[in-house]
Amino acid sequence: MNPYLTVSELNQYIADLLDGDIFLRDFWLKGEISGFKLYQQSGHLYFTLKDADSSISAVMFRSRARRLEFKPENGMEVLVRGSVSVFAPQGRYQLYVEEMEPYGVGGVYLFLEQLKEKLQQKGYFDVEKKKPLPAYARRIGVVTSQDGAALRDILRVLRQRHRGVDVVLVHSAVQGAEAPEQIARGIKLLNLYGQVDLIIVGRGGGSFEDLMPFNSEEVVRAIYESELPVISAVGHEVDWTLADLAADVRAATPTQAAQLAVADLEHLSQECNQLQQRLIRIMQRRLQQESEILDRLMMNRAWQKPRQMVQQYQQYCQELRVQMQKAMENRVNQSRQRLAMAVSGLERLSPLKVMQRGYAVVHNQAGIIKSVENVQPGDCLSITLLDGELCTQVKQKEKVIRWNL
Amino acid sequence: MEPVKFEQALKRLEELVSQLEDGELELEEALRLFEEGVRLSRYCQQELKAADGKVQKLVQTLEGDLELVDCEELLEG
Repeated sequence: MNPYLTVSELNQYIADLLDGDIFLRDFWLKGEISGFKLYQQSGHLYFTLKDADSSISAVMFRSRARRLEFKPENGMEVLVRGSVSVFAPQGRYQLYVEEMEPYGVGGVYLFLEQLKEKLQQKGYFDVEKKKPLPAYARRIGVVTSQDGAALRDILRVLRQRHRGVDVVLVHSAVQGAEAPEQIARGIKLLNLYGQVDLIIVGRGGGSFEDLMPFNSEEVVRAIYESELPVISAVGHEVDWTLADLAADVRAATPTQAAQLAVADLEHLSQECNQLQQRLIRIMQRRLQQESEILDRLMMNRAWQKPRQMVQQYQQYCQELRVQMQKAMENRVNQSRQRLAMAVSGLERLSPLKVMQRGYAVVHNQAGIIKSVENVQPGDCLSITLLDGELCTQVKQKEKVIRWNL
Repeated sequence: MEPVKFEQALKRLEELVSQLEDGELELEEALRLFEEGVRLSRYCQQELKAADGKVQKLVQTLEGDLELVDCEELLEG
């Protein structure tokens, strides 16, 4: 055996020492981030954790870093869980970070701001995506702790307003590490079940830390993705959680959530009664009106003295008949007059009238002769006089030019 | 009762009342609507008198089935 070690052997020895230490395998450490670097290619995070006097280099591999719910920044105080081991190639010991979370109120607020912005960009808080609550919910899903005051408040108020409502509870932790996953699962389970009209998710008041599950991305996403309307009821009047922002309706307290969830039975019942009464009143009035109309109709003479009505009609018929006769007579007289006028017109135009004055008509077989041009000496012509015919032969012809022709 | 059914019934009842109030309807039609309205209002009243609701717990079995478990004792709180 050599009396010396190689560098590799030394580093390996130290690594074995550190790895063998139970405490160094898994512990929580608080520190401030500096020299933060994200290697784009590998996705690993490299940074230094420090306090006032000391520092240690740290690495968070991509597989762990992917689960981070916030963006680490220089100067941020964080709590990390991890182990210490040796990076043999450089003979350096460093912190291998498994989990990291913001430390203290400042860190948490910063984390929340970042998360809020991120979820806002995903549209989880969009007002236009909010679903309306059903007006008459009868089955209410509740995601909360079965041991909490919130559930008792919700049940009490639901019963007060509407004893008929059914409640379907999914029990979940509402604080601590398990809470986000359990709350989200409860919302999903109720959606899977489907037979509730809406979901109330919440808890009674608590410290800022107690309310943190309602700021987790997991819960916010489950609320956003819920097909059923969600009322958030994180008992905290002042601050809004991210769950409140994602919910369709935010109630300040579980009590208020129950009030929003169901209609007041008393009120509904009154509404129903009023409608019924109105219905009956309208119908009574209508029937009264109709019977008045009927009464008026029955008072008409037609129903009182039918014979008189018939006589009136007979008289009217008679009048009509007389009018009709008169009209017919007028028509006949008019026609006679028109005939006489036509006959006298005809007489005035008759050729016989002209012949009476000594005129005659000369014609041959072709027709009436109006010019000497159409006649040759020797032609036979007929001459029609008022009282007979003459057959003649032309001896000679002579054309006369008349001044007016 | 399904809430949708109740909601629809109440809405229809409101419609009927305002239609009848308009008074433009033939008497026969009005009587028909009136009968429907009376039926609906009885239905609504009946539904509102429904028995006390249940409190149940929804759990998922190891096989992944959903199961409802009665737990009225939670009301005592």
